Amino acid sequence: MNKTIGQRILDRVSVPLVAWVAALLVYGTVMVASATSSMNSGSGMLMRHLFGIGVGLVPLAVAWFIDYTRLRGWQGPLIAFGAFLLISPRIPGLGGTAKGATSWLEIAGTRLFQPSEPAKLIFIVIFAAVIANMKGRVDTPARITRALLYLAGAVFLILMQPDLGTGMVFVAIAVVMLVVGGMKAKHFAFLAVAAAVFVGAILGVDAGLDEMAGRDVGLKDYQKNRLLVFVDPDIDPTDAGYNLAQSKIAIGSGGLTGKGLGSGTQSNLHFIPERHTDFIFSVLGEELGFFGAVLLLGLYLALLLTALAIANSSRDLYGALIATGVLGMWLFQILENVGMTVGMMPITGIPLPFMSFGSSSMVTNLGAVGLLLSVWSRRYGAGS
Amino acid sequence: MPTVSQEFRSRFGVLGIIVVVVLSALLVRLWTMQVLNGESFAAQAENNRVREISIQAPRGRILDRNGVPLVTNRSALAVSVDPSHEDVRALLTRTWTKDTADDPTSRELDEMFGEVATLLGTTPADIWDRVTDVQQEALRPRVVAVDVSMESVAQIAERQTDFPWAVVEEIAVREYPNGNLAAHILGYTGAISEEQFKNSDEYSGYERGDTVGKSGVERQYESLLQGDKGWRRIEVNASGRAQGVVSEQAPRPGNDIRLTIDAAVQAVTEDQLDAAIAEAHRQGYNSSRAGAAVVLDIETGEVLASTSRPTYDPAAFLGGISSAEWETLNAKTSEYPLNDRAVMGAYPPASTYKVITAISGMEAGITGENTTYTCTGRWTDMGKQWPKWCWKRTGHGTVSLRGGLKHSCDTVFYEIGYELYKRGEEELQATSREFGLGAKTGIDLPGESAGRVPDAAWKKRYNENYPEYQMWLPGDTVNMSIGQGDMLTTPLQMALVYAGLANDGNIMRPHVLRDVLGSEGDVIRTIEPEVLHTTGVSAELLGVVERGLVDVTETGTAKGAFAGFRPTVAGKTGTAQVKGKDDYAWFCAYAPAEDPKYAVAIIVEQGGHGGSVTGPAARNILAHLLGQELKTIRTTDESR
Repeated sequence: MNKTIGQRILDRVSVPLVAWVAALLVYGTVMVASATSSMNSGSGMLMRHLFGIGVGLVPLAVAWFIDYTRLRGWQGPLIAFGAFLLISPRIPGLGGTAKGATSWLEIAGTRLFQPSEPAKLIFIVIFAAVIANMKGRVDTPARITRALLYLAGAVFLILMQPDLGTGMVFVAIAVVMLVVGGMKAKHFAFLAVAAAVFVGAILGVDAGLDEMAGRDVGLKDYQKNRLLVFVDPDIDPTDAGYNLAQSKIAIGSGGLTGKGLGSGTQSNLHFIPERHTDFIFSVLGEELGFFGAVLLLGLYLALLLTALAIANSSRDLYGALIATGVLGMWLFQILENVGMTVGMMPITGIPLPFMSFGSSSMVTNLGAVGLLLSVWSRRYGAGS
Repeated sequence: MPTVSQEFRSRFGVLGIIVVVVLSALLVRLWTMQVLNGESFAAQAENNRVREISIQAPRGRILDRNGVPLVTNRSALAVSVDPSHEDVRALLTRTWTKDTADDPTSRELDEMFGEVATLLGTTPADIWDRVTDVQQEALRPRVVAVDVSMESVAQIAERQTDFPWAVVEEIAVREYPNGNLAAHILGYTGAISEEQFKNSDEYSGYERGDTVGKSGVERQYESLLQGDKGWRRIEVNASGRAQGVVSEQAPRPGNDIRLTIDAAVQAVTEDQLDAAIAEAHRQGYNSSRAGAAVVLDIETGEVLASTSRPTYDPAAFLGGISSAEWETLNAKTSEYPLNDRAVMGAYPPASTYKVITAISGMEAGITGENTTYTCTGRWTDMGKQWPKWCWKRTGHGTVSLRGGLKHSCDTVFYEIGYELYKRGEEELQATSREFGLGAKTGIDLPGESAGRVPDAAWKKRYNENYPEYQMWLPGDTVNMSIGQGDMLTTPLQMALVYAGLANDGNIMRPHVLRDVLGSEGDVIRTIEPEVLHTTGVSAELLGVVERGLVDVTETGTAKGAFAGFRPTVAGKTGTAQVKGKDDYAWFCAYAPAEDPKYAVAIIVEQGGHGGSVTGPAARNILAHLLGQELKTIRTTDESR
């Protein structure tokens, strides 16, 4: 076949995927610009956001060019590296603490990144291999238990930080991959009940421990509060409940068409907390209204369906599972992040993919795009 | 090779459905919030963003009848403590707990406020007192010092990091260009009390910490002087810091009011009252510290001057008075300088009351101008076991009713009183009430006392628990006839009695407000003269009394005080006996007798004799009013 270089590259690129991601990056940049415009260091923040996108192109290219099937042979090193990433903030001299969680990698006082972000991708790759090795038949208690041990290990390390939100992302990734991996509905139901009982027991035991120790040990109170506030926002209107209330006011007051870019009063007058990171959607909802939200959700729908199509097109189960994992990660983060700003989900520090300010997450998401492209470009077999 | 999709199509289908369901759920939620409830959220956002703060209206000025300013406004540098600052709040929280053991110790207060207290010339305890004042809007800075020197302000401002809770601000305060002049009429201002604040009718629209009138005219005409607050809607950020003004409404300043008081007459009246007290001291009445004087316009009831001693400095209340000062002002030993004795003080009127006894007796037909009596100094008509003495123990000999007034002969009035008692119709009480005694005059000043006209019903009620003292006895009427016994009047009431004698028996309602000025200085309301009581006493009887009163100043008990004074003055001395105290000196008068214009009543507590202590003071007040020269008069007249 006589294909030009251009055609060959085009063949390896999922044009829709790149288009949707590019659209989201533009949209996100516009929103970050608006959200940071009233900050002292607003333009600097925007530069950092663009820098994050630039840096993210590196893992995107690397993941794209590596033949994902070769990753399957690196299971041991990947597990070791993933575990190291999750433990690293706890290693003296490497960790940094923000908002109660030691989730930053920090060397000599300089914050580098949140290692739990790239660890998500590593987990996806590892978990995909685990399920693929079972040939997509994760339908016996023994197999399910084996698969869940990988998840449990990862979640345990994350809760050591402790970062509840990221832990939930890992669970969500695993659930979505297990759907494709063939786990049965009855098993999901059983695990859901078991998990509920387990969480209840944990909270109970933690309360008991706090009582006995006379101080806040185990799970941090702010984490429990966030969950409780989700159930009843009136519990603590000044802190977590305040954030939720202000976010809802911002989004609700945006109405159909919004207050106009850069004109959100809730945003510019600092009523919305973390407005350029976790609560960027509140700014979008306020300034661009329902139309702006529909546009964003539409882009996400297109992105996720494209990811699903890529999974569907994969030449092997392993690739399909990787694509599914990425889809699960994004889907859950969208649900959790947008959901928390409108009071449907508890408040956690989960960024909105491609929209939130924050390089760790941006780089990770672009790396995930690289993984999808890797699966897509090898849909007809290696080197084709 | 089959693609994965064929084997897993149904599983991807499930995933696709999950994606659509999740995004749809978010969309539905957004639809309800943004489209269905958008307006309610928009209102909340607006409410978030905009704070309304009130702007105090400048308080109206108080002027004298000629427009001379008595109370105005000025701006003053004040140092306040911000109760919301964390350091202050930490201490406050401990004070507010029930447990008093954890209250801040004086050492802690000293550490916190010691330096600032020294700069402000106060004490840490006093600062703390003002900060813990609960009668303030919770977040309003507590003013701890007013009229702080620029030097202290500069030092506090320079060391903002040491005293982050100290706020220097310019506040509007009352200014008293004449110092203490007319302090009791004007009254003082202060932060609205909890009691006033909860009285929502009168104080609706007020906020805790607002300055309101607390006494005198400031209190009486609060609603005129206060004005209407303005407001400013400001945009604030999440930390409450102002970002800009959205809209504002300027306050409407309070109305200026013009009083009936004449600043010059007031000054003379106050000087003369002080001089009378000094004269009492000179005569050996060293306990004398208190007194009051009232000057009325006879035809209109306008109060030209009114004063009370001891007095106070209304400026001491600016920015809130310290509790130490407040306690001093309310201590028994201070003789209650905040009380306006001219309207609140209830005294036995003593011989100044004899005009009422004379009129009552003449109206009953039991005496007349030339009816004669014999005074031996000792009067035993009620029985030898109950003798009564005339103040002149040696007796006045044969004396007429007119002479009785002139010499203030008690025996004459004992006889009239005893006759009235025997008639059993309480005519003396009726006449007293016709002249307005025993009832509030309705003057436009707060806290007025009604005085007391005792009668049989009153005595029975008063001695409810002492049956043996319930019966009205001859001695009750006899004592009353010389203004003693249970009879009590205020200086204002006595001034009104004499004004009524001079005004054909018509008593005008007394008032201190002359008119209310609009924003352009135009008169928008004038107080019209109003008849309070029509006594119906005939001109003939009034003439008898007047001739007796003129005798008093020309050849009678006040001849020393009024020697050579023209025009003619109709006056009466009085010397009230108060159990356990030195005698109280009275003088009441109106002048000129031929064409009466002014009435004066003056009393000096424990001042001794009316003729020599209060008489000269009244003389000089009238001299000022009538364009005569003021004189220092020393007489040793011991008459009553």
